[in-house]
Amino acid sequence: MIGFDAILSAFIAALHYESIAIIFGGVLLGYIVGVIPGLNRAVAIAIAIPLTFYMSAYAAIAFLIGLSKGTAAGSAVSAILLNTPGEPSSAATCLDGYPMAKNGKPRKALKVGLLASVIGDLLATLLLIAVVIPFASVALKFGPYELTAILVFALVFVAGMAGGSFLKGLAAGGMGIILGTVGLDPETGAARLTFGYAELMEGVPILPLVIGTLALAEMFAQLDEHRRNKGASVIKLGKSSEDSLSYREFKSTLPTIFKSTGVGAFVGALPGLGPTVGAFMAYGLAKRTAKDPDSFGKGNPNGIAAAESADNAVIPASYIPLFGLGIPGSVSAALLVGAFMIHGIQVGPLMLREHPEMLFTLFSGMIVASVLMLVVGWYGLRIFAKVTNVPPHIVIAIVIFLCLAGIQVQGYGTFGLATVFVFSIFGYFLKKFDYSFVTFLVAFIVTPMLEMNLRQSVILSGGDIGILLQRPIALAFVVFTALMVLHLAWTAYRRWLGDRLKARQS
Amino acid sequence: MKLKLLGTAILSSAMAFGAAGLAQADDFPSKPLTLVVGFGAGGSTDIQARVLANVLEENLGQPVNVVNQPGAGGGVALARLANNADEGYTVVFGTSMTITFGPLSTETTYELDDFRYVAGVTLGQSAIVTGEDRAFGDTWEGLIEYARENPGTSYATQTALDRMIIEYIARQEGLDLRIVPTSGGAGMAPLILSGDVDFGYSGGTHSGYADSGEMPVLLSLAEDRLVAFPDAPTLPEAGYDINAAEIRVVMVPKDVPDDRVERLAEALEAATRDERFIEITEERILMPVTYIPEDEVTQTLRDQIEGYRTLLEELGGVPED
Repeated sequence: MIGFDAILSAFIAALHYESIAIIFGGVLLGYIVGVIPGLNRAVAIAIAIPLTFYMSAYAAIAFLIGLSKGTAAGSAVSAILLNTPGEPSSAATCLDGYPMAKNGKPRKALKVGLLASVIGDLLATLLLIAVVIPFASVALKFGPYELTAILVFALVFVAGMAGGSFLKGLAAGGMGIILGTVGLDPETGAARLTFGYAELMEGVPILPLVIGTLALAEMFAQLDEHRRNKGASVIKLGKSSEDSLSYREFKSTLPTIFKSTGVGAFVGALPGLGPTVGAFMAYGLAKRTAKDPDSFGKGNPNGIAAAESADNAVIPASYIPLFGLGIPGSVSAALLVGAFMIHGIQVGPLMLREHPEMLFTLFSGMIVASVLMLVVGWYGLRIFAKVTNVPPHIVIAIVIFLCLAGIQVQGYGTFGLATVFVFSIFGYFLKKFDYSFVTFLVAFIVTPMLEMNLRQSVILSGGDIGILLQRPIALAFVVFTALMVLHLAWTAYRRWLGDRLKARQS
Repeated sequence: MKLKLLGTAILSSAMAFGAAGLAQADDFPSKPLTLVVGFGAGGSTDIQARVLANVLEENLGQPVNVVNQPGAGGGVALARLANNADEGYTVVFGTSMTITFGPLSTETTYELDDFRYVAGVTLGQSAIVTGEDRAFGDTWEGLIEYARENPGTSYATQTALDRMIIEYIARQEGLDLRIVPTSGGAGMAPLILSGDVDFGYSGGTHSGYADSGEMPVLLSLAEDRLVAFPDAPTLPEAGYDINAAEIRVVMVPKDVPDDRVERLAEALEAATRDERFIEITEERILMPVTYIPEDEVTQTLRDQIEGYRTLLEELGGVPED
């Protein structure tokens, strides 16, 4: 077990002025990226990974964590001032933030959003620190059997919770699985779906795929949007005396903030749901339990507080399955896995054992990042708001350039660029036809891991399913999965029955 | 307009010829070089290559840029190098397994004779390893005896080469093994440490556990015994006629002229005596630095390919070309 000394020295390392400067840089950059509509967290991390090649492992990870946290706080700014969420997860913030800003209280709205962000983030970070250590101490109990069972559970859970059309979710997940099986068969070495390209032997490269489906496709969708509606109105920061946040008003939002942080942390700890779901769930909960539900959607500070604190709580919480089990709980967590690997660190149960100092330095860095987020947000409010004035035709061009430059820097070459374009077109249609790219991406990421662990389990047990009786954790997850499937099937059946009844009555 | 175009054309072709003329007249190298690594950034090959590039830069008097071209166990970089016409300005730093066993186990667009092997600079330290407190102890004889009595003893494989070697050993010793695929050292380590798998292949991960003793070495796959684990026998010492020694080599396309290969070899020989390169390789990555000249390393690689081919035939199948 790790000693108190190690924890203390980790905090001292995080409080070194160089570390603070790096985290500050990450938070600042993240905040700017968050403010700019269309530049989102995943893109920011994907683009920043090559930049971190020349940093030490700790600096790189601290920078990326600061970046990731900064985006969540920054995205509230454009959601409130422009009615354009800087991140999809801030969509819920628009609901009350924009009306409040339109009522002449933009600064109050921004401050509520910022404080809720910081508190949600800080509390969830503390939760992460408290929960990861017990998780990690049983790390080696998670062998191939347990991992297989958990991965199957995660796939079913994500597919079931993603919502929308069942068939579209199935199709998106299926695409992810098919793309996840590309490459050499881990056992026989046979080439699958490589079409003679040596580049595909180790699977479809993840970064070009992510940059294509998320970043470039989003830019194409926005280009489309920009062409259709060029005159989005911008709110100027007013100076009325009503536009400041009193302590009493802030205190009245605290219960909402705590409740929503709980929701966000819960959603974040489950793989695949992501901050958007967390923010909307918290918003819904706040509205349902409020005394005056009608004031929501018309500029209620509790609405902003709920959405923002949950949005920010999801991110640290999504690192619980990442550090504890090696399962990325969100897209940005998945990208962080790549960043860790680049710096030679295997994320997962063994991390506490192999790099304990790293993990604790990381945790302390996360707390520093939370505090810096408050500083950056508080003093930068007015300046950051001006970033939203950059015309979209400039932003889009710059982003496309950055995406392609990122691929080139990674050494993927012409093949990487072709991959990016193929997936940008693919991602554009996913968006246009409302297919869940979360399901697609999670399936793509989970499939190779699932395949490897499943094969290991089958070979090691000699194909004997009775092994599950000796592995209670695996058995439990198999049971959970079965229950989940039954539950999903039952709700789907009920809905179908209801629809049929309605059709008959009309 | 036409005149202007003509002028540009003449000027540019003159420049092109001029540059070409200069390059031939000048001493090699007269422009920056590219050192390609066939693996991702952050791995041991990459880390070593970045230091090597710094050292070479000083000797050659030109910048040496490191570029990662990951994929197919180094195969992507070699496939691209085979079509490279840079005349020695692009070199690949990689491991011998990619060129010796790669073409035998998968379909590749390159083979041994497509390249010149400027020099071998480092010896690999791959091994067959196990965990602590196993029923068979931490010796190779103990394992063989245990595996004979316990059919279904499990082995974690990472590469096609170590799979072939273990299949050959299993046949020779009459063992019934369960061979489990894993991805890289990071995938193998938890399985071995937790005891889920009995023993396995390790490219270099075991070096990190040399002090703690959590990953004892059963068998050295290098030509000599391992530096950090001198008690484990080599393949021939254990009675198997296989040379699977991994060598880290610098390669160029086959049509690079002799004088350029010689200049590169000279710089590499100097690098193997450079403190920085020795420190990163021997102290951090824990592999011995050596200098193997072109003739010798090429012959070793050729012999290894012959050896692997014979083994595959004995096991009943060289994949069709």
